[in-house]
Amino acid sequence: MSDDGGWLNNYVNSLPERGWFKFLSKYVVVPYWVWREPKPKLPGGPRPSSQPSDNVQRMMNLLMPLKDTSPIGRAKAVMALAQNVDEIFAGLDNVGTVHSARFLLVEDYICMISVYDGDFSNYIRDFIATIGSVFDDLMHLVEGGEALYPCEDHVEEFIDWVKAHDLFQAPDYAINLLHVQDEAAGRSPDAPPHELLSLPRELILQLHSNRNISLGGGYRGYPGYSAAQVRDKLGVGW
Amino acid sequence: MDDPKLVEDIVHALDIEGGSAKRRPVHTIGIGATGVFEPSPVAKDFCTAEHFQPTEKPLEVAVRFSNGMGLVKEHDGWSDVRGMAVRFKLSNDRATDLISMTLPVFFAPTPETFLQFATAARPKECNRETPWQKIRDFLKLQIPMPDPYPGQETRPNEGATEFADKHAYAQPAVLQASVIGAPVSYVRASYHAVHTFIVTDPDGTDRWVRFNWQPIAGVLNTNPLDPPVGVYLKEDLEKRLAHGIERFSLMMTIGETGDDFNDSTKQWPPHRKRVMMGLLTLNDVPKDQEAHAEKLSFNPWLLTDGIRPSEDPVLKIRKDVYEFSSNRRGGIPCPFSGTEG
Amino acid sequence: MNAAFNPEELQGNILRGYRSNMVRHLMLEVSDRAKARQFLAASADGTSSEIPAITRSANWKEKPKLCFNIGVTFEGLRALGTASRDLDSFPLEYAEGMAKRAVKLGDFGESAPEHWPAPFDQPDRIHIIASLYSDEEQYLDQTEAQVAKAFTVLGVRNGRNLPDNKVFFGYVDSISQPRFRHVFDPAQIKVDEPKDPLGTVLLGHPTHFEGMLFSIPQPDVLGRNGAFNAFRVLQQDAKGFEDYLDKAATQLLDHPKGDLLLAPEDEKRVGKDLDRHGALREVVAAQMCGRWRNGVPYELSPDAQYPEKEVSPTNYSYTRTSRCPAGAHMRRVNPRGGPIVQRVANYSRRLVRRGMSYGPDFDPENRDGAERGLLGNFIGANYGAQFEAVVCDWLNFGLQDPEITGTNDPLLGANVPETSAFELTLKDGGRIRLNGFPRFVKTRGGAYTFLPSLPAIRYLAQISD
Repeated sequence: MSDDGGWLNNYVNSLPERGWFKFLSKYVVVPYWVWREPKPKLPGGPRPSSQPSDNVQRMMNLLMPLKDTSPIGRAKAVMALAQNVDEIFAGLDNVGTVHSARFLLVEDYICMISVYDGDFSNYIRDFIATIGSVFDDLMHLVEGGEALYPCEDHVEEFIDWVKAHDLFQAPDYAINLLHVQDEAAGRSPDAPPHELLSLPRELILQLHSNRNISLGGGYRGYPGYSAAQVRDKLGVGW
Repeated sequence: MDDPKLVEDIVHALDIEGGSAKRRPVHTIGIGATGVFEPSPVAKDFCTAEHFQPTEKPLEVAVRFSNGMGLVKEHDGWSDVRGMAVRFKLSNDRATDLISMTLPVFFAPTPETFLQFATAARPKECNRETPWQKIRDFLKLQIPMPDPYPGQETRPNEGATEFADKHAYAQPAVLQASVIGAPVSYVRASYHAVHTFIVTDPDGTDRWVRFNWQPIAGVLNTNPLDPPVGVYLKEDLEKRLAHGIERFSLMMTIGETGDDFNDSTKQWPPHRKRVMMGLLTLNDVPKDQEAHAEKLSFNPWLLTDGIRPSEDPVLKIRKDVYEFSSNRRGGIPCPFSGTEG
Repeated sequence: MNAAFNPEELQGNILRGYRSNMVRHLMLEVSDRAKARQFLAASADGTSSEIPAITRSANWKEKPKLCFNIGVTFEGLRALGTASRDLDSFPLEYAEGMAKRAVKLGDFGESAPEHWPAPFDQPDRIHIIASLYSDEEQYLDQTEAQVAKAFTVLGVRNGRNLPDNKVFFGYVDSISQPRFRHVFDPAQIKVDEPKDPLGTVLLGHPTHFEGMLFSIPQPDVLGRNGAFNAFRVLQQDAKGFEDYLDKAATQLLDHPKGDLLLAPEDEKRVGKDLDRHGALREVVAAQMCGRWRNGVPYELSPDAQYPEKEVSPTNYSYTRTSRCPAGAHMRRVNPRGGPIVQRVANYSRRLVRRGMSYGPDFDPENRDGAERGLLGNFIGANYGAQFEAVVCDWLNFGLQDPEITGTNDPLLGANVPETSAFELTLKDGGRIRLNGFPRFVKTRGGAYTFLPSLPAIRYLAQISD
């Protein structure tokens, strides 16, 4: 919306939608800023927090790049999981802190999408302890996976690998992106304050480094409760 | 009153050209509606206050919706914060208020810093960016300041942004205010009480909580690319309530260890425990708006047993600021019986 | 002993406590690499009269006058010249160091590393923590002087055993410790808890998880048979704790269900000289800890601190109907075989705990707020799987039981009065909820250190630049 600030003003207002300007932005402006203010890739998964409701129903969006993206390679990944449904279900039942977990095959990734309670590394360690064999099969099929085989003997490395392949979770409130970037860069947050208008640029540059992200922590129908609390309340045991 | 000078200074800082000392200094334009509130079956487990107890007959409420800016002339279509003040009518002619706005977070953590903000953000002459400035913004991957609305001569945007660039605490509110837009209806926006209150449950356990109203019709803004319509919100509400009802859910978010209970510039994450506390049903726009809305003096400190204010210093001074403003414009004084205020 | 390891090659403070009366921890900086290496070589050798010998794990006939052990921080390994390739093989938690793990460890607010006093305000300068144990101060002084010739002493913390093995909160401590396969410990002869695999504390040995091994930092000689230690300076607010017990007991005197918590006829079984208020104080203290202050497990004797029949201090587990609250300190840090949400984790997060008190005596009758507390060592093979897992999921947060999820340990947790909560259990299965208690234990410093084997110390001593 604008009033009449003259034809030039109206034209400039429409620049972001014009093809030539989009081209210029994509191939010149953004690369210039990426060169000038590179943003390191921000780590995946939920950030550590001391607050109870931050520590339940945490989101895992694990993207594992397939080595062989042909239909045959994809079928192998599907089979590796389909043959191990018992292992996965029994394992997650006994890890005890999982609300949901499912696997997706999207483009060239095999993805594990999961909602769990508590500390990230405890979750990974516990499930490797119980369903490590499933991941052993999978590790042969994903890029960088051989170095982690067998998972039971590479728990720490496996945890680091999962963290590196778990999507960066953008903060729930846009402005906090600046603080997450500050923290990653070892700056104390807001000292000095950022210019408010720089936020779109910071977002664009961050998306250059983290192409895929989770947009905030998402909506929860019953936030603040663990899987065991829900099961307990529903009378289905934990 | 702890600091009458500060209270007065704040009200004066909010006074702007185009406003009136006979009206509210902010949230000047508004409309009153009436309806009923029904607490949810679990509300009583969290708060012993009267309006959260089950009753045979639903509780009567008076609501005033408003535009945030302090102009006497209506600009419904301009991007602006909207307000929703709710008065729950309790037994024995007592009442309790819940005051909320469409912004989920406040501009400053203390009365002193709010005075600084309000002074800095006083509307100034609109500073339309030149095409060259806009191109420079685009090349810096920034979004230019929006053009003024037709007929808009002054606005707070420039001053507020400049202030926020120096004071990080103001950034969440200024950022969200800058993109808040205009709702298609007062009942198509969600409203946040922003400050923390302390509710006491039947066991005597205190919880630090924040309230918000969620419109059951859903949140919907006007298209910011269309030219803004000057006046439509009052008529919209009258029309809607002439034909039917509109409803809001009252949600209560529970703060936890590590949350700042006394700083309303800090928004709690969206995944704090959330309790469904009740349902507000609006059914009428009273004809006598002067008596039903304009003369009413809402006050966030008009509370009742079972709910009390936190130590938030901004919430504290609101009590006096609202009173000062109410006295100035000749509103009906708000009674503080039954509260700790 | 067994062929699984050679006790001569292991630092002595890992598998057992020395039961000395005093400890002195020296926070050291390697300011002269050559001198430091020389010291380590001689210390591992144990033949110099000028340099204290590392105390080994082997049994001794006569207890030495002084026991001496060292822990090396990640920055310390670097300062001693460890190759960066080898440094990279150490786990992330250790590389980051305790101060950077603050959020996970509950070290925020007043406990945040920004508020730690020297030398912990400069964590990167702390390279080695040397721990000296003795019954006589002169040996501590003498050894400190020897150490100071080779290192810069950044800070000193002195600890001592309080009478009757108590801590400032008045509890008898150090009752339950892991016991290990392959290790004979006369102090644990009557304990019937399952034995823990050696990999619980020593790198390179089987862990509790079937088939799972923690990575051994490289080269093998450096990592194998080492252990990781979390050294913590924990300030205990004894006055705040006793004051809170007064307040809670006063509330409980009028509570309609008070008799289900403590039947009037049991008051004298809690303490002969106590009135009802005094006995209720002890019940709250006992439920918060999981032991009565005299050490008797609450689980085995919920109605009496002084049961008529002796009960075992160690042999019990928890059940769904336990009287020991799920939120009690002992049960949070060691749920034993009891029901926990993470069923795979029973017994998997065991830690060796060694601690001594610091600061002036505390008189509960005449309470003062002087700084006092505990110098604690929490030893295990993997920070993430043990120390941090216990602190961030169990001690704080309480994920192991839906009844306590969202609450923190009443004694050690990162509590604030607005949200703190602890549920007392009643005879009829009911609960009374306590609120409004502050944080009783604040962190005042600490470091993550690696406790290298003797061959590893020799290896560190011979690295050349």
